[in-house]
Amino acid sequence: MSDGTPILEVEHLGVRYGTTEALFDVSFTVQPGELIGVIGPNGAGKSTMFKAICGLVNHTGVVEVNGVHCHDHTDRMDLAYIPQRNDSDLNFPITVGELVLAGRRRFRTWWARPTAEDRQIASDSLARVFLPGTESKALTELSGGQLQRAYLARALAQHASVVLLDEALSGVDQPTTLELFDVFQSLAAEGTALLVATHDLALARRRFSRCLAVNGTLRGDGPPADVLSAEVLDATFGSGGHRALAD
Amino acid sequence: MHWLTDPFQAEFMQRAFLAAIISGTVAPVVGTWVVLRRMANLGDAMSHGTLAGVGLAFAAGVNVLIGAMGAGLLMAVLLLVFSSNRRLGQETIITVLGTAFFAIGVVVISRLDTGVELTHFLFGRVLTVTWGDIWLNLALGGGAVVVVLVLFGELRLATFDHVQAEQVGVRVELVQAVLVLLLAVVVVVSLRAVGTVMSVTMLVTPAATARLLARNLRQMTVLGVLFGVGEAVTGLMLSYHLSAAPGATIGLVAAAAFAVVFALTLPRRMPHHHRPLG
Repeated sequence: MSDGTPILEVEHLGVRYGTTEALFDVSFTVQPGELIGVIGPNGAGKSTMFKAICGLVNHTGVVEVNGVHCHDHTDRMDLAYIPQRNDSDLNFPITVGELVLAGRRRFRTWWARPTAEDRQIASDSLARVFLPGTESKALTELSGGQLQRAYLARALAQHASVVLLDEALSGVDQPTTLELFDVFQSLAAEGTALLVATHDLALARRRFSRCLAVNGTLRGDGPPADVLSAEVLDATFGSGGHRALAD
Repeated sequence: MHWLTDPFQAEFMQRAFLAAIISGTVAPVVGTWVVLRRMANLGDAMSHGTLAGVGLAFAAGVNVLIGAMGAGLLMAVLLLVFSSNRRLGQETIITVLGTAFFAIGVVVISRLDTGVELTHFLFGRVLTVTWGDIWLNLALGGGAVVVVLVLFGELRLATFDHVQAEQVGVRVELVQAVLVLLLAVVVVVSLRAVGTVMSVTMLVTPAATARLLARNLRQMTVLGVLFGVGEAVTGLMLSYHLSAAPGATIGLVAAAAFAVVFALTLPRRMPHHHRPLG
């Protein structure tokens, strides 16, 4: 899948909120098609790391996407960030089709309207996440899992090469989780890299090819078998952290 | 039948109806976004604050609509400047500015020796609308509607998910600044019909009523305009027959429509309609 050229490169990433150091010295690279679980306790800086990568918070360090050093949002259009569900107004009067078409905005100027090609791409993107023909549905009509897939369709329509999903699996039942993983894996097979923040360590061990353990900084990076070791879990979740996996 | 046609006989009433219809059309088009972005507080402050421009313009013998527009623009600029202060929340800045501008207006008007009462500006004098006012409102209101229609897609993206909007190239802060300016325009357009204080009613209530019924943004905008025009005309007609203050009567009709729609749509918003987890 990969020729060794990273699709995303993060070097010495750091974020401060006032006097609080939320994240420091985070460095890693991501290859095309990687499916990565990002684990860590609440407040560990997972969301902050995603936001810093997307340029949504001020940060130190370097973020490169497809080899381009990112200075502003226009350099980061290959990234798609899917925020935690609570961060969006899910009662907003918008249809699924309009949500997905939002991903096409990067390819046109502010005054231009979506073209027939844009609509076709949006429609195809919905089909790829197993939501065909849902364009005219209101967002409020979707279940939690369908909503996540609609956001993924928006990322596909955006032609994002890296998708960052913040707690996408929280509050989603087991069959829906498996359904979402089918979508993740089909996207990864086509070369899209996905970073998924999750609290579910058992799921991380079973389903991801690589895990990043975050708590203030990167505590572990590698295959799940290595990152979910007692030593790394204790460093990430505090002493006794490895029991979380046993639970 | 006469009950319906009588109010339209006199020319000053025809002008009043035109002013009310323009306000009822323009305000909900902008109000849709004010409601969705939860900016009603800013609308309220802006509607009060324009009194400063109204008072100063009246004292200087200039058209009060021009004064109101100037005050609205100045408030918008000051809001953008002061909002950079992270120590104070935006709600606080909005309230400080709105009350300060309102106070300037009250002090200026109360010191004038022209026999004009403060209440004329606060609650409007729709029966004294001139053709000049109508043309100015048409130009300003028409411009505001065109801006909203041109920016419809950008407003939708910036309002629903400002994070993703920025990522795909929407200039979210610029969209917000334009919306604040449009808000000032709506207050000016509604000034003669319902006055400074009640202009926020035209801005928020018809759009809020439409929000309870609409499934998408286009529906919300169209329904908002239908409610806005219907409420403005009905309110003006009732005020004619009841000899009541026109601006306040329009406000009451709008509130009554909201209450009826809220009650009728209550079953739809009951807890069993919440989003399933799976």
